[in-house]
Amino acid sequence: MLGVLSTMRVQSAGWPRFLTAGLHRNLALLTLIFLALHIVTSVVDPFTHLGWLTSVVPFSSYYRTLWLGLGTIAFELLIAIVVTSLLRGLIGQVAWRAIHWFAYASWPIAIAHGFGSGTDVLSAWFIVLAILCIGGVAVAVVFRLLQPPVDPLATARGEFRSDVSSRQSP
Amino acid sequence: MSRLRLLAGTDPSAGSESHADHSRRLGAPAIAGRPLIEALIRSGLAGRGGASFPVGYKWRSIAGAKGPAVVIVNGAEGEPQSRKDRLLMTARPHLILDGAFLAARTLRARQVVVYVGQAHQAAWNAMARALAERPEAERRIARMVGAPHRYVAGESSAAVHLVNEGIATPTTTPPHPRERGVGAVPTLVQNVETLAHIALIARYGDEWYRSAGRRGAAGTILITLAGGVAHPGVLEIEAGTTIGEAVAMAGGVTEPATALLVGGYFGAWIPVATGWELPLDAAALRSQGLNLGCGIVGVLPASRCGVCDTARIMRYLAQESSAQCGPCFFGLRALSDACSRVAERGTNRDDMARLKRWSVEVQGRGACKHPDGAVILLRSALSTFADGFASHPAHWRQQPA
Repeated sequence: MLGVLSTMRVQSAGWPRFLTAGLHRNLALLTLIFLALHIVTSVVDPFTHLGWLTSVVPFSSYYRTLWLGLGTIAFELLIAIVVTSLLRGLIGQVAWRAIHWFAYASWPIAIAHGFGSGTDVLSAWFIVLAILCIGGVAVAVVFRLLQPPVDPLATARGEFRSDVSSRQSP
Repeated sequence: MSRLRLLAGTDPSAGSESHADHSRRLGAPAIAGRPLIEALIRSGLAGRGGASFPVGYKWRSIAGAKGPAVVIVNGAEGEPQSRKDRLLMTARPHLILDGAFLAARTLRARQVVVYVGQAHQAAWNAMARALAERPEAERRIARMVGAPHRYVAGESSAAVHLVNEGIATPTTTPPHPRERGVGAVPTLVQNVETLAHIALIARYGDEWYRSAGRRGAAGTILITLAGGVAHPGVLEIEAGTTIGEAVAMAGGVTEPATALLVGGYFGAWIPVATGWELPLDAAALRSQGLNLGCGIVGVLPASRCGVCDTARIMRYLAQESSAQCGPCFFGLRALSDACSRVAERGTNRDDMARLKRWSVEVQGRGACKHPDGAVILLRSALSTFADGFASHPAHWRQQPA
């Protein structure tokens, strides 16, 4: 949600940067820790005999092949996003931004993985959480599509450009 | 006492030298191609647009690339106090064009763009007239393009951007224009004075070029003297001439000077006591942490206030930000506002703290060097006019721009 809304540059002079840009990054990293816990506990759990390979190679488990495969794909997309974010200075803004679009694929795939392989899918708390998550993201996406990102320099840049963009001779 | 080279011949104020007079006086260039590149490297000639980039190495890197190239003759001269490019274009257009077409031959360029400031009417007319006098083979590949009257328009990537897309704003480098410029091919963007020197080196060689110059420096330089000197304007001096000697050549100071602005608005303020003995030479100034820039020396007379003049320059540079990068657009505006408050209402602790902090933080955070140049100038003012900034009275309005 914060990622979807980050380009809107909702901010005020009184807000510190950790609220505007830092919160998105820190929450994302926190999510990664919980995701690591989820994967490690799943693999270690002897009930399913998943094996480490499943966490890396999609559709390689006998247990719920399709749904676990989706989880693996979502995880790998996320890893790509994290690695490129760490190497952002090295690979450049354009490549980083392109990879960051993977988030839009990773998230629905992860949701599908949750519904497909979850064992609590029909319990009330799961449904409430899912509705909150999907609803939140849906609202954010609609909001962003209705209101294109703002460029704080658009006016100033436009004025300067119209001043320096004549091709005529004096 | 000075040995004129670029401005040798008839008085520069008499108007432009015709192609016939030019050819009669100087003959044809003797060398082009690889021997010329080697001569340029040996000469040590550095670019005169402001960056002092070694010319021979720039040429060699473009010559080493595959395929065709483009030459941009940079006569934008956006630096407000500079006059030397205009004078040279008006008086010696064929010297510049000789250098441009030597570059085209040497670098296999099929396009020569003569990029002249739109506001410089006389220079534009002289270059257009001179171009019309050139042989057909040269005229066919050349065209004139007007540079908008803005500070950043003469920056080399901005010149390329204008030719490519019609917008004279700097773009991020790398890639440099010499790697990927007009139409994505390697492009030589060369200041008009530099091209004129090249035209002479192609005739008389690098040893001749180095035979002028004092205190270990080589060649001659066009400089613009501004401010409190008896005869402000353009001088051709031997490289290595001290600032004091150059000011004496311009008739001396009009009243005791307190500080010097070396290198124009992209340069630095220095106290007159340390400045007078400085040799005007790109390498010598760099070893002192200074910058020859495009050869401007501004003399601040005792009756003018350095803090107020700095505030004026900062306001100008803030207005000239092309609004592409936030730290430059907002940062320079905030610095300019703080500087103006000190000048207008007097010293206050908050603004002084802001100036010190921001003048460091803004550096290196733009796509081009515009914010860097502005804060380097500001920091030099904070140290040169330390007393002035520490106890500045509210007197901005007492002083005309």
